[in-house]
Amino acid sequence: MEAIISFKDVSKTYQMGEVEVPALRGINVEIIKGDFVAIIGASGSGKSTMMNLIGCLDIPTKGKILLKSQDIAKLSESNLATLRGKTIGFVFQQYNLIQTMTAFENVILPLELQEVNDIFAKERAKKMLELVGLGDKMNYLPTQLSGGQQQRVSIARCFVANPEIILADEITGALDSVTGKEIMGILKKLWVEEGKTIIMVTHDLNLAKYAHRSIELKDGNIIRVGNNKKIRRGVAA
Amino acid sequence: MRLIKCLKHAFGMVVHSKIRSWLTILGIVIGVASVIAIMSIGAGMQQSMTDQLGGLGGDILTLTAGSSSSTSMFGGGRFSSRTSSDVATDEEPLLERTDVQVLRAIPNIEAVDTQISGNVDVNYLGKSGSIRLTGVDQKVWARITLSKIKEGRMLDSADQNVVVIGGRLAESYFDKPIGINQMITIEENVFRVVGVLDDSSTNLYMPIQMAYQMLDDKENGVYDSIIIKIKDEEILNETLVKIEAKLMLVRHVTEKTKDFSISSSADLQQTRSEMLASMNAFLLAIAAVSLIVGAVGVANTMFTSVLEKTKQIGIMKAIGARNKDIMLIFLFNAALIGLVGGIIGIIFGVILSGVLPALMGETMILRSGTFVSIDSIIIALSVSVGIGILAGFVPAYQGSKLKPVDALRYE
Repeated sequence: MEAIISFKDVSKTYQMGEVEVPALRGINVEIIKGDFVAIIGASGSGKSTMMNLIGCLDIPTKGKILLKSQDIAKLSESNLATLRGKTIGFVFQQYNLIQTMTAFENVILPLELQEVNDIFAKERAKKMLELVGLGDKMNYLPTQLSGGQQQRVSIARCFVANPEIILADEITGALDSVTGKEIMGILKKLWVEEGKTIIMVTHDLNLAKYAHRSIELKDGNIIRVGNNKKIRRGVAA
Repeated sequence: MRLIKCLKHAFGMVVHSKIRSWLTILGIVIGVASVIAIMSIGAGMQQSMTDQLGGLGGDILTLTAGSSSSTSMFGGGRFSSRTSSDVATDEEPLLERTDVQVLRAIPNIEAVDTQISGNVDVNYLGKSGSIRLTGVDQKVWARITLSKIKEGRMLDSADQNVVVIGGRLAESYFDKPIGINQMITIEENVFRVVGVLDDSSTNLYMPIQMAYQMLDDKENGVYDSIIIKIKDEEILNETLVKIEAKLMLVRHVTEKTKDFSISSSADLQQTRSEMLASMNAFLLAIAAVSLIVGAVGVANTMFTSVLEKTKQIGIMKAIGARNKDIMLIFLFNAALIGLVGGIIGIIFGVILSGVLPALMGETMILRSGTFVSIDSIIIALSVSVGIGILAGFVPAYQGSKLKPVDALRYE
C-alpha cells in the first residue's frame, strides 16, 4: 500500500512570547492513499496542528513530512501553493467561504487559481454544486445560505479541483445533528465515489466512526492508532 | 491566477467596499483635478503672454540708463542705478540728447521715441487720483506704440495741452466716464482728452515737453527711456551691436563699465516665461501635496483592506493562491483606485479650468483662457495610477507574505 503522507519524528513548537509551547512531540505516522482517517483527541491535543502540517499551511519545527514523497519543508512557497491547490482540499468548521462571493464564485475560485480553462471550470463548478444539492442556489451569497448549505458549498469547493487528499476540520462542529449527519453523508458518498484520501479532524467519537482508521492524540503524542473494520469503501456506516 | 482574474477580484474588492473606496478615490480626484487645473492655467497664461508679446514684434528695443546687471525683470533699468564698483563716476547714469542724436545717426533705425514717466494727481469732476503719466515724443509715438486707439486720435506734432488716456481711466476710474474733448486737471493744469486707447490701463500720455512741466523731478533733456524702432526685424542683432558700440563710444564706457541696457521684446518674453515657469513650479508643488495626501489615503485604505481581508487571504492561500496572486490582486485594487480617481479628477480638472477664468475675472494673465493639453491628461493619469500602485505596494506585499496558518486564524 502506498503511503501518501508520512510523518517522520515530527515536532511542532509555537513560540508564545518567551515561552515555547510544544504542540506535537516527535510523532511518526503514515497515511495510506484512499484511506479515511479520523484524527481524534481532546482540545489542545495537537489535532489542528497536525492538520495544518498535512495541509502544507505550516511547516514542522523538527522532523520530516513527506507528502507524495516530497519533503514539504524543502518546497518553495510557490510549489507549496501549487501542492495545496492541486493535491489538497480543505473543508473547515466555520466553512471559510468568501463572504463577498456567490456560492458559484466560491466554488470556481480554486480552478481560477490553477488557471483552468474557463468553460471547463464553469461546468465543473456547476456540477459540484449540483452534486451537493445546491444547483438552484449558485448565485446566493454565503449570508443568504443556512449553515448546512454553506458547508455544502465548502465541500463543493474542496472537491472541485479534484484533489487527492481531503482535510476536514470539525466539519459538523457548527451544525445541528441532523445537518451534521447529512454533511457526513455527503462526505462519505464522495469518498466512496471519488476514491479520495480523507483526513477528518474531530473530537466527536461518533463522527470518528465514519472513518476507516483513527489516530488518537494526547498532549502532542499519538496514543492510539485504530482500525474500524466495519468501514470499507462502498459500505455505508 | 491569470491577470484578468486578478483584475476581476480587484474590481470586486473596490465594488464591495464602496464607501471606503470612494473616499479614497475622492482624495485622488482632488489631487488630479488640482494638477489639471493648475497646468491648464499655466498653459493659458503662457498663451496669453505669447498673444500679448507676440504683437510686439522684434523690431522694438528699449534703452534705459543703468548697467544690464541691474536691469529689472521687465527689461528696463529705469528703476535702478549703477552699483558696480568699477564704474568711473558715482553720478547717476542718464539718457540725454546726445544719446538720441547718436541713435538717429544709425541708418538701421527708423524712429526714436524719448519718454519720461512719473505719477501725477489728476482731477476730474471733483474726484482725484494718482495716475501714471508718460511723456512721449508725439511726433513718433503713434508709429512706435503698440497701443491702438479706440476713440479720438493719437497725439500729433502740433499738440500742446492734450492727452491720450487708457481705456479703464476713461471708462471707470472716476465716477463718470471721460469722453473725447473732455477737460481734466493734471497738477492744476487743464488738459483736453483727444484720444482713448483700446486697452484696460489707467495710463496717461502727453507730449514730453508738457510732461517735463508736470513732473517736477524730471530735468529737461534727460529721459527715463528711449524706445527704438528698427527698420527690419531681421537686422535686430546687427543693429543692437551697432547701437551698443556707438553709445559706449559717446558715453565713454567700456563693456565692463557699461551704464546702459537695451532690452528687446524677446528678452521681455524670456524673462516673463522664466517667471511663469517658476510660478507654475510653485503651484504644481502645491498640487503635488494634494496628490501626496491622496497617496497616503490609498496606502491607508490598502493597509485597512489587507487587515480586513486577512482571513480571506488565508482562505485563498489554503485553496492554492500563490503570494504573487495575492500581491497582484491588491496592487490591481490600488491601481484601480488610482485610475478611477485619475479619470474623475481629469473630468473635474477640465471643468474647473473651464470655469476658472470666469471665477477669477478677466485678469491680464488669463485673457486667453485656460488650456488643457493632452500631455497634462496623460501625465495626470499616469501619475494617479502610479501613485495608486506605489502606495498599494507595501500593503500588498505584506498581505502576500502572510503565513496561511496565521491568516486563517485571524478573526
